[in-house]
Amino acid sequence: MAHPPESAPLDHHYTTTGLNHRKLLMWVFLGSDCLFFASLIATYMVYRGQSLVGPYPNDIIDVPITTISTFVLLMSSFAMVRALAATNANDQRGIKIWLLATALLGAVFIGFQIYEFNAFKNEGLTLGTNLFGATFFTLTGFHGAHVTLGIIWLVGLFILSFKGRLGPATALDVELAGLYWHFVDIVWIVIFTLLYLIGGFDVGPALPAG
Amino acid sequence: MATTHEAEHDVRHPTIKQYAAIAAILFAITIVEFILIWPTAGIDDDLGLSKIPLLIFLSAIKFAIVILFYMHLKFDHPLFLRVFIAGLALAFMVGLALMGLFTAIKGESRAFAEERAVPFVHEGEHVEAHPAPTTVPQAPPTPIPTLPPSPFETLVPTAEPAPAGEETPAESVVLGPGAPLGLGVNGDVLEFDASSMSGSAGETYTLTLTNTSTVNSHNWVLVQSGTGEEVATEGANHAASDWVPPGDSRVFANTPLIAPGATGEVTFVAPGAGAYQFVCTFPAHQFTMTGTFTVN
Repeated sequence: MAHPPESAPLDHHYTTTGLNHRKLLMWVFLGSDCLFFASLIATYMVYRGQSLVGPYPNDIIDVPITTISTFVLLMSSFAMVRALAATNANDQRGIKIWLLATALLGAVFIGFQIYEFNAFKNEGLTLGTNLFGATFFTLTGFHGAHVTLGIIWLVGLFILSFKGRLGPATALDVELAGLYWHFVDIVWIVIFTLLYLIGGFDVGPALPAG
Repeated sequence: MATTHEAEHDVRHPTIKQYAAIAAILFAITIVEFILIWPTAGIDDDLGLSKIPLLIFLSAIKFAIVILFYMHLKFDHPLFLRVFIAGLALAFMVGLALMGLFTAIKGESRAFAEERAVPFVHEGEHVEAHPAPTTVPQAPPTPIPTLPPSPFETLVPTAEPAPAGEETPAESVVLGPGAPLGLGVNGDVLEFDASSMSGSAGETYTLTLTNTSTVNSHNWVLVQSGTGEEVATEGANHAASDWVPPGDSRVFANTPLIAPGATGEVTFVAPGAGAYQFVCTFPAHQFTMTGTFTVN
């Protein structure tokens, strides 16, 4: 992941586009990850309001709590840009503080998600209960898995920072982790809007009189 | 070349102050979104459905701010932006295609899903629809706990199966004491071909249900008025007893589950005078397959 600062950064290698291949690959990966989440989000939207038995979103979705966890994730993105800025400025103390802050804020977000999943389970909603449960847990679960991977990546960088491996020459290592982290953040912006702000008050199927 | 680019790129990075301002904007938009939808804020009702495009617009702004500034696409080489926008555009198309495919094939999505609903059954549970019973009067294959067959009851000979109800409009079935009751379903539409029936208290009836559907199994369950949906919800856990909760005091009579194209019947004594309800308790059918049964 990281290269010793004394080694020549990859940026200086000739590439046909003049751009760093690792960074370009990261953007290609993020572009393809959009497709992955689009499929899961579209599946949720297709089956929205189609559950035949409860619990329905309005019964269990807690919008205020999730607004707080959304705020936590947004702030982790701010911590991430600070970590990259510290790396570019060779501020070794700043690198450690902000990488750790980003990972911790991510962990708090995951903590909220574990709490939420557990509360839903206690209310009777599992992956197999109804279409809402199936599509909700699949989508938010995969997002949570992305966040968890990001935390592991950040912790890896945090450990490298103690070996003095992070600095302006290896800023790309931090930048790539940052791109991934911000991507996970923007995916959540979409999920939060569709599943919580718009879909969080969905009640059961509208029943014809009789 | 790369070195020059990197140098320029660094100069044009936002400052820490600008990053903090962006964080504040993201925070403020999230707060606005929350106020828009939170009922106690009072704006929720005024906006109605118009809040949906507004919320999508606000989240799109947050999305754009993060990729342009936090992910540096505003300052970076345009190829990065193009690669990502290409993925995003494809993602939009995949999403729209999926939603279009699954909701617009055959009119309203809910009806589409209901007609094809396959109820969940635990392993080992008996689910098969009963084979078409003959028209010879006989005790239903499933015992009706609330109405044990009594040797003193006079069974009314069953009439010919009711005419297939494909084109029959909803009508009222009113018959004199002791007469056979015929009822059908409107083909593959989840409806009985009559929305009301009536009878006389204490009389014995034999109801024959003709299932003209080509795909759906149905039953006919007489329950206390207004309890049809509750009984069907409870019945969804009892596949083995033809989706009828066993021993439920709200249930007065029920046919077995009748396979598509088959005919089934139940003989029962009309309960005391009052309003009752008949319903198909096959999971999800209860919302549309119901009617009133009046006992005079």
